Parts: sequence; C-alpha cells; structure tokens
Amino acid sequence: MADRLTREEVEHVAKLARVEISDDEMEKYQVELKQILDEVMKINDVVLYDDEYMIAPWSVDSELRKDEVGDMLDAKDVLENVPRHSGNYIEVPVVLGE
Amino acid sequence: MSNYIPTIGIEVHVELKTNTKIFSNAINGYGMGANTLTNVIDLGYPGTLPTINKEVIRQAIKAATVLNCEIRKDMHFDRKNYFYPDNPKNYQITQFNTPIGHDGYVLIEVDGVEKKIEIEEMHIEEDTCKSAHRGNVTLLDFNRAGVPLIEIVTKPCISSSEEAKLYIEKLREILLYAGISDCKMEEGSMRCDANVSIRPKESAPYGTKVEIKNIGSISNVGLSIQKEIMRQEKIYNNNETITPQTRRFDSKLNDTVLMRVKETGNDYRYFPEPDIPFIHLTDEDIREATKDIPMLPDERRKIYINKGITRVNSDKIINHREMSDFLNSFIESDLDFVVASNLLLGDIASYLNKTNKMLKDTLLSKEKFVVLVEKVKDNKLTSKNVKDIIEDIMEKDLTIDDIIEEKGITNITDNSIIESIVDKIIEDNMESVEDYKNGHDRSIKYLMGQIMKETKGQAEPRITMQLLKEKLDSLK
Repeated sequence: MADRLTREEVEHVAKLARVEISDDEMEKYQVELKQILDEVMKINDVVLYDDEYMIAPWSVDSELRKDEVGDMLDAKDVLENVPRHSGNYIEVPVVLGE
Repeated sequence: MSNYIPTIGIEVHVELKTNTKIFSNAINGYGMGANTLTNVIDLGYPGTLPTINKEVIRQAIKAATVLNCEIRKDMHFDRKNYFYPDNPKNYQITQFNTPIGHDGYVLIEVDGVEKKIEIEEMHIEEDTCKSAHRGNVTLLDFNRAGVPLIEIVTKPCISSSEEAKLYIEKLREILLYAGISDCKMEEGSMRCDANVSIRPKESAPYGTKVEIKNIGSISNVGLSIQKEIMRQEKIYNNNETITPQTRRFDSKLNDTVLMRVKETGNDYRYFPEPDIPFIHLTDEDIREATKDIPMLPDERRKIYINKGITRVNSDKIINHREMSDFLNSFIESDLDFVVASNLLLGDIASYLNKTNKMLKDTLLSKEKFVVLVEKVKDNKLTSKNVKDIIEDIMEKDLTIDDIIEEKGITNITDNSIIESIVDKIIEDNMESVEDYKNGHDRSIKYLMGQIMKETKGQAEPRITMQLLKEKLDSLK
C-alpha cells in the first residue's frame, strides 16, 4: 500500500471542506491524512457485536418531545449576529447550483 | 413513437403538518416574515441539541402505512455533510441507513390498466433554509430550516412522463386524505425531483441518469420529463454521450436547463447522528399513529363506482374532500348515490363556489339531503325547482317540504293532465307541428316552451318532453 494519498484525493477532500491548500501543505496532508486513515481503518478489524451500540453507546431511547410551540428568537436578535442582512433576510454572497 | 425506453425514478419531499419543527419547538409555519420562526437549534448555534418531535414520528408512521411500506421499528438518524449556506450546521439530519419505511407501493391506472409504482424507501429529514438569488447576493430565510420532511423514493419503475404525472397526482391525493401534508407544490410543501435515463431497448443496460430538480407543479412533472427524454434522444441520435448531471425545469423556457455536473453520494460522508439516540417503535406506537387514518381515495372510488357514479364524477367528488366525507356518511344507507352525487356536483357545488362557503357553513343537514335526493329521484322536484330553492335549502333552517310550500312549488306530474295540455298546445300550434314533421327539430323546443308558459313552468319536464315527442311522432 502506498504511504500517501494522491494529490487528487487530497484536492477532493479540500474541495469538500471548502479549504485552499498550498503546495507545502499538499505534501504534508498527503502523508498525514493517509496515517489518520490507516488508524481509523483499524476499526474495521474489530468484531462488532451490536451495530446499535456503535451508533449510540447507551441504552436510553430518544425522548420524544411534545409538539408544543416554545420560545423563538426575535428576528432582530437573529440579524444582529449576521454580517449582512437585507430587510429581514440574511444576505450572503451569491451561491448558485442548488 | 420513440425508439427509446425511458426509465424514471422519482423523489418527492413532503413537508409534514405539525405545530413545531422536527428538532426544535419553533413554529412550523409558512408565509410569515423572514427569519421570524426560528430558535437557536434551527440556526445551528454551537452547543444546541436536537430533540425529536413526537408528532413527526407519528405522521411518518402514518405516511409509511398509507404508502403500503414496511415500517422499520429500530431506527436512527444520520448526518449528511456538505458546506452550503442553507444549513449552518454544515450537515443535514436525515435517515440514511434506517429509513422509517421501505418496500411500499402506490397504485396508478394507466389507460385503464393498474400499475404498481414501487417505493424503494421513505425517510424522515429536516428541511433546509430557503434561499433566493438576487443579482450578486443570496437571501436566506430560516423559517423553513428544520421543518419536518419525508422523502419518498420510487424504484426506477416509471416508464413514461404520463405515468410520472399520474404517480404524483395519486401520491398527493393519498397524503392529503391521510392529513400528512397540505401538499402545495406552489408553496413548496411538496417538491419533486426526477431521475431520467433512456436506453435503446429493454435488454440494453440502463442509460446515464440525469436528475431534474425542483419541479414546481404537477403539470410540469410530466412536461419536464417529456422534454428531458426528447433532449436525451437527440443526444443519442447524434451518437454523442450523455453526461451525469443535475438540471432544473425552467417554466419560462419550457425546457430543462443545466444546473451542475453531479457529485457522487459518497461526497456527503454520511455517518450516524450522535446527538440523537436510537428510536424503538412498538406495535402500540404504530397502532396509535394509524388509528385515525380515514378511508383512502382508492377505496372511496371503488365504492362510488359500485354505486353507479361515473369515474369522472367519482374523481370530482374525491377532489372535494368535504363532499366525499359527507357522501360517505350515507354508505350504509340505501340513498341513491347517482342522484346524490349529481346534486352535490351540480347545484350544491355551484352554490358553494358562488358563496365561497364550505358545506359545514351551510344548513344542509343529512336529513334534509336525504329528503332532497328522494324528491328529485321521484320527480317530485325538477332540476329547475332545485335551482330555485337551493339557496333556501342551504341557508334556511326549514325542512324541504316547508321550503316547497313556502315557494309555492306545485309540479304537474300527473300524466293525464300533462297529456291534455300537450294536446291543446299541439292543436293551437299546427304550424310548428308541420315544421317538426318536415324535419325542423328545433320547433319541438318552441312547443315545449308553450307548454311551460301554459303551466307556469310546473309541468314536469322529463315527462312532458317524452309525451310531446310521442304525440308528434305519432302525427308523422
């Protein structure tokens, strides 16, 4: 097995995470990400007795909430925490494609 | 006729009717000021934890049941990871591994033949915020963030745009009747994406899948798929290759347009949502959730058609939920459903339309309706009579007999009386009779008018017309 990820693999992960990486970083991540991945892959060797406990390692079920309206935030307070807004709308740089 | 076989799968998102959101107790509402229906959970503030709305689980169990799905009793949620401003947590909470429903179906009728549209799975998830693109900015409204959704995914078993449209119509009808969603495509509470591919013949491998997103109305479901099939056929015919992509239907261009080249599912890096423990449904949970499911449209249609109502009229009644429920309250009685449905779809419907009322806003009681149907059936009331008294029936707290008396309606239904009047009119209008004999069919209407004038409109029209025709034909 190779001891590093390919440039394309690292580029793909960077793209999904919306981060830019320099050439130096590329070198570093190709190796480090591979090491992390190998560690995580060890989980695959463990015999899983109960899938359920891997997902939620406690025996308590979800407590279901009654469908009753509670406190909500004032739109004014919400908008105070955003860099830009237009009227009551939160404004972000244009994103297309969805 | 096309040389290619289309393969279509459809994904439908439906917003559930609940008071609050799926993971927070903010209001699940539409049409309010932007960002007025949110709390810290919907906005993905650090340190907040989701709690599941019981009603969402209940509605999802109902949906799985009416869509004939198997229900998964042990389930959890998963995170679908992606960076996009419509979701500040950078993941959407959904069900990837354990969808609540699977292996269901919806029955549609294609050219009189029943077809099963198979449902692969049905899962629960949260809606994202609504974004609107304006020039070089995007505007976000988080009122929709966290609204409970179910996503219903068919197998690729739909083979025409017509079938797709029928499926959506049927799905909508069922979900509306079960009270799961208000299914308004124009308001986005029901949204539809379609996966379309074509192949040259049945034995060929499936073609490249193209996704059409955000189809905004039922008629556009059929239209957009039709256009996409045509587009793919053209590419095939030019010996070019179809690339996997996402397109959207542009109702102005009346065609599908490219949105983006598609990412693969792996890029979402699904993993179990650690903030929400497992959910274990019991038989009792399922019984409780499904106990108030009303009779569904297909069963109603069957009963109506059995009772003699035409297919078209059965559909019309089913389209009018309140009317259908009203009519259903007589299923066990021997009420004449044909007469009853004609009255409901005729004078009663036009009264409701004109006054913008629901049946429940009127004084039409079950008892009054039974008497009305009987009187129409026995020709004691003519269709003209019904038109004359419909307002009184709907608005006055009087019996049908009281209304008839008050309006002074006396119909001449005695054959011998009508016959003598017919004879008199024929004698007085020999010219018109001659015209009729010479093939001027219209003159019978003139004669009929004379009879009505003579009787002040009280001669029962069906009997009168029959007698008049017999008399005239015997003179020929």
